[in-house]
Amino acid sequence: MITLQNIEKYYATKGLKSYILRHVSTTIQQGEFVSIMGPSGAGKSTLLNILGMLEEPTYGTYEFMGEDITSLSERKKIELYRNHIGFVFQAYHLIDEMTVAENIEAPLLYKKIAGAERKSRVADMLDRFNIVGKKDLFPNQLSGGQQQLVGIARALAAQPSIILADEPTGNLQSAQALQIMELFKKLNEEENITIIQVTHSEVNAGYGSRILHLLDGVIKEDLNVVNL
Amino acid sequence: MFKLNLKIALRSLWKNKGYTLINIAGLSIGMASCILIFIFIRYQLSYDQQFARKDRIYRVVSSWKYSGSEEFSGGVPLPLAPAMRNDFAMLDEVAAIQRGRGVITIKDPSGNVRIKTDERTFYVEPQFFKIFDYRWLQGDPQKDLVAPNSVALCEDMAVKLFGDWHKAVGQTINYNNKTDLKVTGVFANVPENSSNPIQIAIAYSGYVNRNMKSWGSVSDASECYILLKEGRNIADLEGPKNAFIKKYYVEKGVGKEGHLFQPLAEVHRDDRYGNSSNNTTGMKEIWGLGIIGVFLMLTACINFINLATAQAVSRSKEVGVRKVMGSRRKQLMVQFLTETITLTIFALIVACAITEAALPGLAGLFREKLSFSLVQQPEILGFMGCMVLFVGFLAGFYPAMVMSGFSPALAIKNKVNVGNSGGAALRKVLVVAQFAITIILITGTLVVLKQMKFMREKPLGFNSSAVAMPYVPGDSLNRLKYDILKTRIENIPGVLSASFCASGPSSGDNTLTNFSYGGTKDADFQVNVKPADLDYFKTFGLQLVAGRALSKSDTIKEYVVNETLLRKLNVVHPEEAIGKMITVGDGHKAAIVGVVKDFNNMNLREAISPILIYSSKNNIGTLAIKMDSHQIPSVMKAVEAIWNSTFPNNVYRSTFMEEDIERYYENERVMGTLFKVFASVIIFIAFIGLFGLISFVATQRTKEMAIRKVLGASTFELVRMLNISFVLMVLIANLVAWPVAYIFISKWLSRYTYRIELSIWPFAAAMAISMLVTLLTVSLRSYRAAKTNPIDALKYE
Repeated sequence: MITLQNIEKYYATKGLKSYILRHVSTTIQQGEFVSIMGPSGAGKSTLLNILGMLEEPTYGTYEFMGEDITSLSERKKIELYRNHIGFVFQAYHLIDEMTVAENIEAPLLYKKIAGAERKSRVADMLDRFNIVGKKDLFPNQLSGGQQQLVGIARALAAQPSIILADEPTGNLQSAQALQIMELFKKLNEEENITIIQVTHSEVNAGYGSRILHLLDGVIKEDLNVVNL
Repeated sequence: MFKLNLKIALRSLWKNKGYTLINIAGLSIGMASCILIFIFIRYQLSYDQQFARKDRIYRVVSSWKYSGSEEFSGGVPLPLAPAMRNDFAMLDEVAAIQRGRGVITIKDPSGNVRIKTDERTFYVEPQFFKIFDYRWLQGDPQKDLVAPNSVALCEDMAVKLFGDWHKAVGQTINYNNKTDLKVTGVFANVPENSSNPIQIAIAYSGYVNRNMKSWGSVSDASECYILLKEGRNIADLEGPKNAFIKKYYVEKGVGKEGHLFQPLAEVHRDDRYGNSSNNTTGMKEIWGLGIIGVFLMLTACINFINLATAQAVSRSKEVGVRKVMGSRRKQLMVQFLTETITLTIFALIVACAITEAALPGLAGLFREKLSFSLVQQPEILGFMGCMVLFVGFLAGFYPAMVMSGFSPALAIKNKVNVGNSGGAALRKVLVVAQFAITIILITGTLVVLKQMKFMREKPLGFNSSAVAMPYVPGDSLNRLKYDILKTRIENIPGVLSASFCASGPSSGDNTLTNFSYGGTKDADFQVNVKPADLDYFKTFGLQLVAGRALSKSDTIKEYVVNETLLRKLNVVHPEEAIGKMITVGDGHKAAIVGVVKDFNNMNLREAISPILIYSSKNNIGTLAIKMDSHQIPSVMKAVEAIWNSTFPNNVYRSTFMEEDIERYYENERVMGTLFKVFASVIIFIAFIGLFGLISFVATQRTKEMAIRKVLGASTFELVRMLNISFVLMVLIANLVAWPVAYIFISKWLSRYTYRIELSIWPFAAAMAISMLVTLLTVSLRSYRAAKTNPIDALKYE
């Protein structure tokens, strides 16, 4: 599904290149649950941003579902966002002016899905995440864990084939974090959704099927997690 | 999608209540001013536009070229209309219309006077009603207004005279105690916005005037309208016109005669020619108001752009999230524009309320009937629609572009800051522009007010206070009563002196004529003649520099001239002129007996004219009465009683000299008030805009200020820090505004022959005011920011 070849990212200041990523090459298959780990400044977020097409690599090729991303137009990228990619953020990033239900509905609007279908999908999501009673509340009326649930529900509503999550549990208490990770695992196993998450936590990484260890912009280890 | 956008727009406006309020306040006041200006301009441009053939209607007007000057008149020589009817093949119709005024009396069957009233009248040729399609309720002007002594009334006048317009036709009214006129028709009321407010139309065939055949005499009251044949161009008339002028103006006057075909729409707009409604509004004033309106709207839009781009940062997260959900930039822009337009519509609703409240004030200021009705005036609705779209896009487009352009990667990580959100420099430019506009208006206001004060206080060379000017009927029978009237009035306690005259020393009613001094050759300029009696000088406090005042006489026996006349004739010492002979116009030769010190004989826009004062009982129209200023009410009552018993068949009418002079400056009074109002509006808009911006800056720099405070900065130092950049901007705005203001103001002042010297003070005052407003606003808000506890600011993140 995803093929990275020799991805490099650096910032040039006064002729000195400061590298963020170096020679990153890897392949991720449909249905994998990958955790990107590493100390601060290792380039985890940059890698995720490149995967999410939020940043461009300075060098190298990136193929997403067989298409070369580097030569893709803005319009095509937006098409990919609409149909294949769901984002989950550490700070949830719900739209403050929208209720829970509207937040979940928002990506469907951009996908131009008909009203009735939208309603049923939103209802389905609310049901599935047990937040039917909160559908008319605004984000600031929810706890962090609840907000992140809405964030994931929003990402899933568009039925993406891949979810990119940047430290999804970073702002959460451990019990809530556990709940989110269980959810990811379930989505991955039952619906075959590819998940790529950046995390600091060994525990969280344990839910996935594969771990990429980054250090100073280089992949140091690529491990398969053996499920116990 | 639109419904959701609207919902989100409302929520986001509600969330930022403070900014929303500032925006709505600024926009609504700006919009209300624009709507008011629009209503006014629309009304002014609607004058005489109600006629079906309006595009083919022209008025013939006259002009005279002298060496170095030009005279204009809306009237034409009396023989012109029949001559044109004869000579011009390209015209459908030619119609003369003669304005007048007289006493209308109506007697009841037993012969007692039932109604006696003083009314404006028009002698009208029936062709006039072929040119202008008046609606006739009864009668046909082509048949019923042909015979002499027939008269048609408008509905209101018919009701006033006879109680019911259905009863009017067939009745008789008496005009000027002489002629009996038979009512033969009734027409619908003429709307207010008409240059020919005809209420009483008398058949022109009954009009008598001794100048009926004279091409050399023109009265403003004799107008002539023409209707061009369909498909013809008015420029084609140029050749025939020149031939026409050559053919009829055979006597060579001092001035060169000319005629112009003035389009109907211009009749209300060209104040050189005037019109029967005594009301003109020049295109210059209309343009001026329009420009002020645009300025107001611009400053309000600038507020909006400033606040919106400043706030953009707080919306960056939303933009980022929406983008990764698959929103196109276009869709985001649509969303932000929806927000702006929603806000604009709110502002419009408030603006409508303000308009409704302010309209009577505006109507009173212009003395016009203005109304604000969306049903009757769909143009206003259209204008408001355009305004919402214009403001929405002008104000919303740039912020929408900035916000929708945020990179999602930066936006999501909250790494967008004021610096790279774009527009920091633009915001500064806009604030400078806004303040420059404000300063121009403040300076303009100060100068207009100062010039008005100057004109009110300038000594005119005569005393105009406590002088009443009742008119006196000029027919030969009533003239016999003049001496008795004067004696009786002089005996009223409180009357200091009284004088029969044609007009006061300063008057809008001027008669110019040719004359010769010493020899026989006519001078190359005309003289302004003022018929008066011996008490004229005493009544108005005119001072003589040589010779003596007029002695008692009923006809021209001697002349008094003013200094300007002598100067124009190159006479250096006033004494030299005493005893010299002057011949006026048609041969009245008499000696100069006195030289009067110069006084202002017209409004202060004009220079002093050469003036000739002489006795001529036949040209008297007014009795000027100088009173003791403490007894004016009782004296006026006595004057009216005596007047009515002397002229029982006429209607008493009087003005005060001071009011007549005040009336010259109607235009200035309106300008002054408008400037005051709009300058305050613009100061207010700039003030709240600045307040919004400084609020934002203070919020943005909360952390910086907290750190500085922890490092030991005092509250005062922090306030000063925030002030400096704003004060600098206002200073630049002043530098930008000054030259522009200077050009506008000196152009306006150049209309006045008597004007104030343009000094540095209005500019300095405008700078002081703008600085004060800035310092006050910025300090008010930044003091609060500087006083906050640094812990509150620093514990974030």
